[in-house]
Amino acid sequence: MASHKTYWKSETELFEKDQAVSHLKHNEFAETLPVNDFLEDEASLQSSETSRRDFLKFVGFSTAAVTLAACEGPVKKSIPYVIQPDEIVPGVANYYATTISDGFDFASILVKTREGRPIKIENNDRARLFGGANARVQASVLNLYDKFRLQGPLAAGVDVSWDTLDTAVKARLDALLSTGQKAVVLSASTTSPSYKALVTQLKEIYASVEHVSYDVVSSGAALEAFGQVYGESGLADYDFSKADVILSFDADFLGDWQGGSYAKSYVANRIPKHGHMSHHVQLESNMTLTGANADKRIPLNTAEIKRALAALYKALNGEAVSESDSSIAGHMNALADKLRTVGSKAVVVCGVEDVNAQLLTLAINEYLKSDAFDPAAPRNLRSSTASAMDQLIADMDSGAVGALFIDKVNPVYSLANGAAFAEAMQKVGFTVCSAFSMNETAELASFVVANSHYLESWADAQPKKSYYTLTQPVIRNLFDTRQFEECLLKWSGSSDTYHDFIKGHWTANVLGGNAWNKAVQDGVFEAAAPKSLDARIDETLLQSAHRSLAVAQSEGMELVLYTKTGMGDGQMANNPWLQEFPDPISRTSWDNYLTISKADAEAYGLKNVNVANGGLDGSYVKVTVNGTSISNVPVMIQPGQAKGTVGLALGYGRKVGLQSEMQTGVNAYKVYFNGSKVQEVTIEKQSGMHEFACVQLHKTLMGRGDIIKETTLEDFITKPASEWNEVPVVSLDHQEVPASTVDLWESFDRSVGHHFNLSIDLNACTGCGACVIACHAENNVPVVGKKEIRVSRDMHWLRIDRYYSSEESFAADDAKKESFDGLFGETGSLGGFGTLEDPSANPQVAFQPVMCQHCNHAPCETVCPVAATSHSRQGHNHMAYNRCIGTRYCANNCPYKVRRFNWFRYNQNDEFDFHMNNDLGRMVLNPDVNVRSRGVMEKCSFCIQRTQKAILDAKAEGRAVKDAEFQTACSAACDTEALVFGDVNDKDSEVAQLKESERMYHLLENVGTQPNVFYHVKIRNTEKA
Amino acid sequence: MASHYEASIRKPLVTGSKSYSDVSNDIARPVEGRANKQWWIVFGIALAAFLWGLGAIIYTISTGIGVWGLNKTVNWAWDITNFVWWVGIGHAGTLISAVLLLFRQKWRMAINRSAEAMTIFSVIQAGLFPIIHMGRPWLAFWVLPIPNQYGSLWVNFNSPLLWDVFAISTYLSVSLVFWWTGLLPDFAMIRDRAIKPFQKKLYSLISFGWTGRSKDWQRFEEVSLVLAGLATPLVLSVHTIVSFDFATSVIPGWHTTIFPPYFVAGAIFSGFAMVNTLLIIMRKVVGLEDYITVQHIELMNIVIMITGSIVGCAYITELFIAWYSGVEYEQYAFLNRATGPYAWAYWAMMSCNVFSPQFMWFKRLRTSIMFSFFISIVVNIGMWFERFVIIVTSLHRDYLPSSWTMFSPTFVDIGIFIGTIGFFFVLFLLYSRTFPVIAQAEVKSILKSSGDQYKALREEGKPLYTMPKRGKVTTYSIEENSTTNQTHS
Repeated sequence: MASHKTYWKSETELFEKDQAVSHLKHNEFAETLPVNDFLEDEASLQSSETSRRDFLKFVGFSTAAVTLAACEGPVKKSIPYVIQPDEIVPGVANYYATTISDGFDFASILVKTREGRPIKIENNDRARLFGGANARVQASVLNLYDKFRLQGPLAAGVDVSWDTLDTAVKARLDALLSTGQKAVVLSASTTSPSYKALVTQLKEIYASVEHVSYDVVSSGAALEAFGQVYGESGLADYDFSKADVILSFDADFLGDWQGGSYAKSYVANRIPKHGHMSHHVQLESNMTLTGANADKRIPLNTAEIKRALAALYKALNGEAVSESDSSIAGHMNALADKLRTVGSKAVVVCGVEDVNAQLLTLAINEYLKSDAFDPAAPRNLRSSTASAMDQLIADMDSGAVGALFIDKVNPVYSLANGAAFAEAMQKVGFTVCSAFSMNETAELASFVVANSHYLESWADAQPKKSYYTLTQPVIRNLFDTRQFEECLLKWSGSSDTYHDFIKGHWTANVLGGNAWNKAVQDGVFEAAAPKSLDARIDETLLQSAHRSLAVAQSEGMELVLYTKTGMGDGQMANNPWLQEFPDPISRTSWDNYLTISKADAEAYGLKNVNVANGGLDGSYVKVTVNGTSISNVPVMIQPGQAKGTVGLALGYGRKVGLQSEMQTGVNAYKVYFNGSKVQEVTIEKQSGMHEFACVQLHKTLMGRGDIIKETTLEDFITKPASEWNEVPVVSLDHQEVPASTVDLWESFDRSVGHHFNLSIDLNACTGCGACVIACHAENNVPVVGKKEIRVSRDMHWLRIDRYYSSEESFAADDAKKESFDGLFGETGSLGGFGTLEDPSANPQVAFQPVMCQHCNHAPCETVCPVAATSHSRQGHNHMAYNRCIGTRYCANNCPYKVRRFNWFRYNQNDEFDFHMNNDLGRMVLNPDVNVRSRGVMEKCSFCIQRTQKAILDAKAEGRAVKDAEFQTACSAACDTEALVFGDVNDKDSEVAQLKESERMYHLLENVGTQPNVFYHVKIRNTEKA
Repeated sequence: MASHYEASIRKPLVTGSKSYSDVSNDIARPVEGRANKQWWIVFGIALAAFLWGLGAIIYTISTGIGVWGLNKTVNWAWDITNFVWWVGIGHAGTLISAVLLLFRQKWRMAINRSAEAMTIFSVIQAGLFPIIHMGRPWLAFWVLPIPNQYGSLWVNFNSPLLWDVFAISTYLSVSLVFWWTGLLPDFAMIRDRAIKPFQKKLYSLISFGWTGRSKDWQRFEEVSLVLAGLATPLVLSVHTIVSFDFATSVIPGWHTTIFPPYFVAGAIFSGFAMVNTLLIIMRKVVGLEDYITVQHIELMNIVIMITGSIVGCAYITELFIAWYSGVEYEQYAFLNRATGPYAWAYWAMMSCNVFSPQFMWFKRLRTSIMFSFFISIVVNIGMWFERFVIIVTSLHRDYLPSSWTMFSPTFVDIGIFIGTIGFFFVLFLLYSRTFPVIAQAEVKSILKSSGDQYKALREEGKPLYTMPKRGKVTTYSIEENSTTNQTHS
């Protein structure tokens, strides 16, 4: 709108007749411009000519000006939607329920996507079972953005089109119809009903098709025993929440035993409620996560474990146990009494790869009528036996196989006789390998199917009888890849997509009238409970099983193969998060190693030493099993390792298709003969020392019982909290008062608004490390590589400290320290502290997750010269990265040592060539959290981006925030609810109630930091049995 | 005038029968003459070390602090050790010139100029470290309370690091002004002697138009006294504040109330040792034995002995308090110092700082120039280890054993330290060739009371204006004087 207002410039303008006014009005310039002065003088105009130099100046200037004008700002490759999808709102995350089932791990999960990109894995709380994502599953999202993944199909290593591949496969299958040779589909044990139906469909067209399943890490013995007893394929399932006594014979059921962790049901009965918690006894050779959590851990070699099981069986049958094995016999008699008293509230689990042992276990559980034992709805997660693979190789050698389709598995790498398999592959002549990235088997295949990631695929699964799950794609194929099921459909001549096929199969066979969309939305579907199975246990079989176990003897050294929490079977070896994930037990990353007891290490002259910068070095050994040797295996002296045994993790030592940084460790599959995890071994010292990347160089707690407070169940029940959860006191005006009440500062009114607290229950934390990876993914924590980890520069915002006791228990450590008297001599503190540094041969273990404690009186905040770290009203200790100048004073003054410094630039730097150094890898970054630059300090933020989102969502909807909405990445990832986050100003919140618990204590309370993270005293049920 | 009389039992502070012109000649000689070969060799080495350090600093700033040996537990090591070490060395200068001025210790006059130069040069070295140890040194100006448009951004006055900024910069500026004030008459002396126009121009510029009128002298005296008064509390405050970096923290081994006096004593200790190191060389090289006499060295040694013993007491007190406190973390921190993985550093510190100065109880040793030089080096090694022990051994094993680790320097850590030593010597060597290294105006003021020939004349009852004949060579006149003395006695 044009304005008609007039503005007066001076008073004289009021007099319109004024000459001066009218003159000014009509003349823009008050004075005449001397135009003529310089234009009139024609002579001077004539004489001025543009010289050549001036001309060049003008040309130069205009060229530069034009060039500059032509420059653009940085180009951002973002393409707007032509049609904006309804469900994608920039800045708002979508969650999709799906399932990961990669042949080793299985979990029902939620996938968080931002602007269409999957960036984070969360637990699916609608799944009653398998709803907890472990560390590997949490990390699996990064595999989607692996720059080493195959981006299209290959024929003999050269790119081909899908059409060429399909034609070749069909031609071969057609040809096989006449030759009578078999076409074998080799896959990991699949629980997918649709997959099986698909193979059947293919079989209808090509009768020669056969399906062989192959478990990289086998549970063959348990499968066989279960089959013998119940006449069905499967593995008995367990619900440890119903068990008061858990007796485990080498079953790492919090680890990868029989297809996945039982942590959730285990922990349900490990938190003392009403003075009650389960008692857990573990007999094992390696120090496992399960053993570390046990109330009583008995380190034995496998032969001893077998004899112990036989002894228990005998004792339960009312026979006296022979005295030859007095220590085992003593334990087993006591345990048998215990089991009989508890009856159905007891359960026995067995991880010994021996059919006889598994038979006895089933018989004992049947005898006890164990509530926790569920054979009616068995797990299907492992289904293959070692003999199936031997048969396949024999068939391939004999020429009976005319085409081999390998789906995802990598037998050339993961079979002990991988070389034989490779040779046999040549004899088949036509091999198609479906692989996610290049691997040892795919290298030898005639065709390679570039497989899609599970986040790009449809699939279904039946992990347990009558329990179904669905996998749905959350992003379109990033590359020209195709999931193997689509290939099978194509080859069977169908024009359906696999989605159509699953939907069809489910509607017909699974859903029973229930809605498909609901099943997809939930990711899980439960059919009616199956009827119970009758056990048919043959007494004579049991007798012979018992006889053979009772005389088990080990010859020489035993090698016990295991899978590491971080690496599993090794299929995710190119994932830098997992490589850098410190093992919960050894706290070492980027390696596998031979774990050995201290006594054996001394006998072989093997050493672990710390060099000047603290880095851990270990001797090398040569490991020989059945004539197959692995050289240069580094040695890790492992407290709790049974004497006469050594442990070695599978899944390392892969070379093909891996970035050079990820080619770590040695390949233990080379000695994984017959799928048996126990092998007879000889070891031989080699020269040189290996450089480990270990994040915790000090193993013991040094008698500092106030860091991890713990007590026995008996004391917990019978004694007042002041005895087992002593509050530190300080002297104020010569009076002893609780340390937390003394204050140098004016306290801030914290009753208004939210006040966030994090509760950590040391009884519920199993140390599994899912939270560590969840934090990594949520907060864009950089990967720094082996060299940096070695020099104690890990960047993890959340770490799980693991301590060993130096005496037989932590309580004994504390007592020993208390008894120090003077400096010198037997009980002197000079020597005493030295001995406390050495862990015991069979120590107690304690885990303690530590992240920024968000102290209300934070030592870091007062010392920052530029106030880059400061406190929020909501109890956060903020870190303003932009303000940080990097003096690192805050990190020095942090009693918890949780602050992490960006020593280098960790993104877009070829020195740190991990996911933050390429466009594809950077797609996983959380857009809500910034990527820190070099030279700034960083640390846990209590996932402020998540709490702020919850607050803003509630505000937008005009309601109060619900308790469950406040979650940090770690608390959301914790399947066992060891970590509970929330607002303590909301008196009804879970965390507020947990804070009132008698077990609550603050870490280093005597320092007066008043943290917003609190712990719950660890209770050990050690008095029983 | 009282200053013109000194008891005869006091040893002369200037020997060699110096006349006023001798003093001028002796002090101006290095400035007016040409550098000899040795100077060039030493300067070359210092310059090479400086350039090497500069390279290491550039590498650090362009790549990241990760090129040092630090880690998540030990976030400071050589950087702050070097910082505190250099600040400590920088303590002697102001103490000598200000505190000894107030106490009217005339012997300071021969050494205060160089001691102050040393102070300023070492504070420059010290000042480097807080800047280069930052992760983002290009933002170092954020530690200054500069009004800005970023909103409510302001420095954190709670932080001892911020106090450091003020303490060090105040100390540096006051020391610089004090030093320069004292230099004015001496610069003017050189200006007046200069024959080359460039030199004349330069020295007249930096002598600020000194005329030598009695008004000039009066103001000079006043300003000196005022500045001495201002600088004296700074001597105590600077290292007190540096010690707050540690004392106000919560880390066992740092959180100690004894730190301020302990650090100040340690600083004087190391500063005097460094003055000894430098002057024992300089008096020889520049030929100033008549001004910096064995007596000077002996007096410095006594200060070293006393402050070394104070530091020793502090060490023992720390151990006692750790035991007496009953705090297990504190107790372990000190047990770990003495017996842990860095025990060698602790015992190096103990033997260098506590045991070695005790030799100075013996007159023969404290008047031995070679031995004094040796001890001065040992003390400075010991004081470097003291800071290393405080910083690294306290950090490497603090509260949670899970974070315990070790520290080992990289070649960059070492390079930067050597570089600052090089830088220091580059500055000091340039200074020794361009500045009057002894406060000649002040020395002239005590020549009649404390010069050996005047003391001898007074002894003989001769008037003090009895002067050797003009034009005679100084060395010759010493002989003549001594014979005169003999004949008359």
